[in-house]
Amino acid sequence: MSIEVHGLVKHFRVHQRKPGLRTSLRGLVRREYVEVRAVDDVSFSVAAGEVVGFLGPNGAGKTTTLKCLTGLLHPSEGTVRVLGHTPQRRESSFLRQISLVMGQRNSLFWDLPALDAFEVNRAMYRIGEPAFRAALDELIALLNLEPLLGKQVRVLSLGERMRCELAGALLHIPAVLFLDEPTLGLDVNGQAAVRSFLRDYNARRGATVLLTSHYMGDVTALAKRVLVIDRGTLRFDGNLAVLVEAHSPHRLIRLSLQRPVPVDTWSAYGEVDSVEGAVVTLRVPRAETTAVAGRLLADLPVVDVGIEDLPIEDVIRAVFAGE
Amino acid sequence: MNDTLTAYSGLLRSSTQVALTYRGRIVLWFVSGLFPLLLMAVWLTVSAESGPPAGWTSADFISYYAAAALLWNLSGQHVVWEWDADMRSGDLSVRLLRPIHPFHQYTASDLGHRAVSLMMLLPVLVLAALLVPGINYPLGVFDAVAVLAAVVLAYLVSLVMASTFAIVGFWSTQAANLWMLWWGIGSFASGWVAPLDLMPPWLRNAALVLPFRATIGFPVELMIGHLDIRATLVGFAVGLAWLAVFSGLYVCLWRRGLRRYQAVAG
Repeated sequence: MSIEVHGLVKHFRVHQRKPGLRTSLRGLVRREYVEVRAVDDVSFSVAAGEVVGFLGPNGAGKTTTLKCLTGLLHPSEGTVRVLGHTPQRRESSFLRQISLVMGQRNSLFWDLPALDAFEVNRAMYRIGEPAFRAALDELIALLNLEPLLGKQVRVLSLGERMRCELAGALLHIPAVLFLDEPTLGLDVNGQAAVRSFLRDYNARRGATVLLTSHYMGDVTALAKRVLVIDRGTLRFDGNLAVLVEAHSPHRLIRLSLQRPVPVDTWSAYGEVDSVEGAVVTLRVPRAETTAVAGRLLADLPVVDVGIEDLPIEDVIRAVFAGE
Repeated sequence: MNDTLTAYSGLLRSSTQVALTYRGRIVLWFVSGLFPLLLMAVWLTVSAESGPPAGWTSADFISYYAAAALLWNLSGQHVVWEWDADMRSGDLSVRLLRPIHPFHQYTASDLGHRAVSLMMLLPVLVLAALLVPGINYPLGVFDAVAVLAAVVLAYLVSLVMASTFAIVGFWSTQAANLWMLWWGIGSFASGWVAPLDLMPPWLRNAALVLPFRATIGFPVELMIGHLDIRATLVGFAVGLAWLAVFSGLYVCLWRRGLRRYQAVAG
């Protein structure tokens, strides 16, 4: 196993400050603290080469878990092993095998071109010249970095900077890659480029990838398995398709008709999700999907039919809502 | 050790490049590096109006403050601000993820900046030493070696002392202010504001055992030939003792502080 987590608990002691002058004055002599359990008894393991999506709303504990896995935070309780190392010991041999890409953090040098930062990484990770050149050439080609290498990082767009961040994080060919919101703030093209690159990197290098993202597209494009965490507790660990099936009792049947039909026609088949002219989307119970589709084809002037699951966003919303 | 040295080569190169990025900033460093010369002007005025204080002649003051300007630029205490900013913003996380201890990353960054700063200041000071009447550094070979060792010791003491205060940031957001308070004492007890010979006896005696003199006053006094062999050995002993104390404190605080680190802001 690349990653093994048993009973991970991380709590923080947080200064509680209420509004108002009186409470501010009182706070000078007596401070109130509360204990926040950011991660509460979380256990899971990830096999070598696996890509796992880590889903949860803001403050669910995703980033805290990633920080425990990379050794930035010391667990309050429980054990964490990554590549056989205890991360918080921060052994050099461990740090050389991992990378954490944080969408909102800059690990490059703001005032220098990215290539200079790559050279620093070469020195810090002790990458030999041939290996460095080979990795860099590969990353330049995959991420289309050539036009960016000579520009100061501070003049790059967010998407360009993120591509350079990824390259910097991967030059030492990490065996485990942690990604915290890697497409945050990127436009659609930028997101697609990063997703495509990560999929390719995983396939080529067999790296283990643990990914958090608010964009479901990132997760559906990259991960078959997901961990769903909410209020510090692991709510689901398994195949994305199973998650969808378990929390989505309905499927969508999308019909293109030769001509519009009366609205009251649909109640016999399912619940209307949307009607746009001659295109109708029905929500039907999962178990009855095939039968209903057959009846629709037999009864109505159907030009085209498509069956799909509910959008993953709706499913995740249902999971968090406890449905 | 080998890993760290290899990393230093890359980090030094990049920090020097960063330091060379903005011309305006280099000029500001240069000007602020000459600040001890303002203090020199004050003492030259005092000396001219009231006679040499404590036997210090104008030539002594010029020699002292020219050397003090060099030592001030070589001080490693500037690392406090970088540590402090990174701890507050959470950027320390980026450094912690690298396989080189953050102490070395900050030190390499500081050395790059010192190199650029000195590149500007050193020619001026050398020219001044050659051209300004009165500047005198009576150094033999043994003295020169001793001065070099004292300058290296000065950098190390200021660097490790400042780094120790910086990691108080694991417990308090006021680490940089605490350092300011500490250096408020240090500016007098180091010989930066005035040579320690001119200070009240109680401060002079205290300064002999405090860590600050090792960072400026001791190497400067050695350069201008004011110390005999015994005073030189005592100066080295005090400096080395404080280096050991702050190194121990640093290691201890670092281990405990990392457990408290909250890796804020994302």
